[in-house]
Amino acid sequence: MIREKPQSFNTVALKERLTIPRQSMPEQDPFIRSTNFFEVNLGLTPEQAVIEAQRCIECKKPTCMDGCPVNIKIPDFIQLICKKDFLGAAEKIMEDNSLPAVCGRVCPQETQCEEVCLVGKRFEPVAIGRLERFVADYAMENGNGSVKETQIPQPSGQKVAIVGSGPAGLAVASDLIKEGHEVTVFEALHEFGGVLVYGIPEFRLPKTILRQEVANLEAKGVKFIKNFIVGRTMTIQELMEEEGYDSVFLGLGAGLPRFMNIPGENLNGVYSANEFLTRSNLMRGYEFPEWDTPLYRAKHAIIVGGGNTAMDAVRTAKRLGAEKASIVYRRSEEEMPARNEEIHHAKEEGVEFLNLVNPIEFIGDDQGNVVAAKCLRMELGEPDDSGRRRPIPMEGSEFIMVVDMVVIAVGNGSNPLISQTNPEIETNKWGNIVADADGRTSMDAVFAGGDIVSGGATVILAMGAGRKSAAAINEYLKSKVGSSA
Amino acid sequence: MNLKDQINSMDMDDIIQMCVHQEQQAIDLYTLAKDQARNESSRQKFQELIDMETKHKVALQNFEIENYIELPPADLKVTDYLMEPVLGVTMTTQEILILAAKREGKTATMYQDLSDHFSMDKQLSTFFQMMADEELRHKHDLETEYENEFMPEG
Repeated sequence: MIREKPQSFNTVALKERLTIPRQSMPEQDPFIRSTNFFEVNLGLTPEQAVIEAQRCIECKKPTCMDGCPVNIKIPDFIQLICKKDFLGAAEKIMEDNSLPAVCGRVCPQETQCEEVCLVGKRFEPVAIGRLERFVADYAMENGNGSVKETQIPQPSGQKVAIVGSGPAGLAVASDLIKEGHEVTVFEALHEFGGVLVYGIPEFRLPKTILRQEVANLEAKGVKFIKNFIVGRTMTIQELMEEEGYDSVFLGLGAGLPRFMNIPGENLNGVYSANEFLTRSNLMRGYEFPEWDTPLYRAKHAIIVGGGNTAMDAVRTAKRLGAEKASIVYRRSEEEMPARNEEIHHAKEEGVEFLNLVNPIEFIGDDQGNVVAAKCLRMELGEPDDSGRRRPIPMEGSEFIMVVDMVVIAVGNGSNPLISQTNPEIETNKWGNIVADADGRTSMDAVFAGGDIVSGGATVILAMGAGRKSAAAINEYLKSKVGSSA
Repeated sequence: MNLKDQINSMDMDDIIQMCVHQEQQAIDLYTLAKDQARNESSRQKFQELIDMETKHKVALQNFEIENYIELPPADLKVTDYLMEPVLGVTMTTQEILILAAKREGKTATMYQDLSDHFSMDKQLSTFFQMMADEELRHKHDLETEYENEFMPEG
């Protein structure tokens, strides 16, 4: 289908647009922010947002939309920013993305929409993520957070249970409530948002944003139930047979931490990134003693891994008062899966990077506390399937590093609870739920999407999977009514 | 009598049969572990290992030395420094992969040692070299899988 080009409101001549520099994101001073948990990025000003939007060259065949997993109408919302219709721009985004303030902050735009932006072929790409964040924040502050209310749909009389309140679950809830279904989101923890709330620190994604997004959905009629573990509090079968849910969506995420299986991982002071970040983010350990969650203030904290989770953990350790906080990564910086922005921010905040180093043992004292890490130096070999050069241990290069805190951030797996309590739901050898492209599982009326299916991925990919499942659930419910009529 | 002395008294068919027996022992071990494993993902992983060893066993039974192409794979050494898990009913997929990769590594070392020891006997040395390469290839594949699944950010 050929898309109609949006009306242009850009008053800058085409040639001049390419001379406008990409607007930089105002942010807290690195020295100050490394001692607090307030948001690092402060957001574009309205003036900056308009200037940035004017950099768009209005391509005949815009590629940016193809780079977005949920195909946000990027050219359209950018033109509305040029027109200074910021609420209109937010509404346009929300046609495809129910969490723009979240995605504007945590999406890796540099490998998605911005990577394929044609301006980026010769210059820096249009800062689509920063613009998305700007209009979402503007809408929250000036449009009562929910922008234009859609018509209240006719109740369908059908009930959908959503297990997990992370990005996939929230996307499903947002789409299905518009169809008139009765939607209930079940969350195992005491706060909604899944990995967005327990995994991402306040300084990258303030909790108030998530609470606002949840409040918006509540205002539209979505019910939220916390402290409810599906598989323990109630099984899927019980939800369907006793509570009358017609369909269930499983969006449990990948919350099971991976460990390295090296000696000393059970010592005191060795955390999984999940535990460390949950204690700080969800249990508000960073507000000790106001919030009574113990978190060790380290002299030297090392964080093992090179992804965004490792960057979140090391920057959290620094803010918690670690005298020295280091990333220990067995490849080089070039191979790091973390976003460049996160690496840049970590460096600015004084984080040390020990690349081409891999721990092989953690050493404890007689009290069982970690006091040192035995490490090996690595060298890079041939590229692997992902294109990253492989680290090869350098034999005889062992050395001891004095540390008093370790955080393991090498990856996450799926929680086995659902597969253990529902053997009829097919899982693969990694424990991920097997689902088709629309999220259908091997159990009738049960759908799944996000990290529990794909393994650890991005927020927007989880939302994209959630939206596909929502469409499939809606079709399923319609066909159910049709067949019983 | 040690293994090298035993091999000295065998002909090529006997040696191949000995290696086939070695593969069968691995198949039996993984089959037992699969039957006792408590979770489905572990059963699936053990089945994959059974299939891998079975293929190797069949290839050995049809072995012809002139078809051997020397192409030793890189030893990634990903699991070399990890703790060796104990075979048991509650093993996770991660532990199964570590165990299997370490087994392949040890067997590769044994065959490499035999290949070096019998370097004066071209046929025997080439045969053991092929076996060593094959075991190392399995280790390489298992460690690649391990890295992709268990250390995506490591």
